[in-house]
Amino acid sequence: MARRPISTRRRLPAAKSHRHEAGRCLHILRELSAFIDDELSHDICGEIRQHLGACPRCEEFVVSLRQTVALCRKSPAPALSSIERAKMREQILTAAHMR
Amino acid sequence: MAASRQPHSSASRTAPPQKAADTFDALYRNHVDVMYRYANRLCGETEAAKDLVQETFLNAYRGFKNFRGDAQFSTWLYTIASRICLRMRRRRKGAPERELSLDEFIPTSDGEFRLQIPIEGLSPEAALHNKQLRKALDAAVGKLPKKYKMALVLRDMEGLSAKEAGAVMGLNERAVKSRLHRARLFVRRELSARGLAEDTASHRHEPIT
Repeated sequence: MARRPISTRRRLPAAKSHRHEAGRCLHILRELSAFIDDELSHDICGEIRQHLGACPRCEEFVVSLRQTVALCRKSPAPALSSIERAKMREQILTAAHMR
Repeated sequence: MAASRQPHSSASRTAPPQKAADTFDALYRNHVDVMYRYANRLCGETEAAKDLVQETFLNAYRGFKNFRGDAQFSTWLYTIASRICLRMRRRRKGAPERELSLDEFIPTSDGEFRLQIPIEGLSPEAALHNKQLRKALDAAVGKLPKKYKMALVLRDMEGLSAKEAGAVMGLNERAVKSRLHRARLFVRRELSARGLAEDTASHRHEPIT
């Protein structure tokens, strides 16, 4: 006779470790660039804000994405010196007339 | 200024051959710095960037007659530079050309939700004084597959609109936004615990002196 389990071992939802890959969070993840670029409708923005208010992980994620974009926007790039600029001009014109 | 955009030049619209050199000089003067900045961001190092700029202006010089006056000259140059860049052979340390899927950007551990370099309370400019952060950012952008890098550089660094970036890359706005989103998520992850841990574990970027 098969023994019946005394207690059914239910799988508990991962309440402690936030399942970020699941449902709402994943949906939010897809929209985050559009969200921070202000490209979404008022309604969808509202939904996302509401989710962020309830989900600290997603909130953290958005903050870090905003920071990333802000860093990209301000990232410095090297500049040519006036000598390099003139030298390059010569090389371009020489090449243009040679070929 | 990193963010400054060149005013658009109409001097080039119909350049008669004899005036090509004069027109070239004016255009070169007005646009070389922007193109060099763009090239540096795409190539990640100065020698390759110089080659790219030279090749771009050489192509532009020869192609004045192909320039359609309905596009800004800067957009045309961005387009030429982008095409050349895509043709350039992938350099040794270049990123493999692959598709980025959204799934790979879902954080799986605690440290991945935030950036690991402390920039709280700092302006981006102030944060970028941090050498470690600047290097991490450059490395992250450098690791992006080219087509994603291009979207990120054009939109978030050069400040082009999605429409302009689309014109440069030959894509519709939707495709630009999709690539941009993946590129941002990639860079964000690289600056998170996962990215930094992988980076230090796999290789050192600095030569040991």
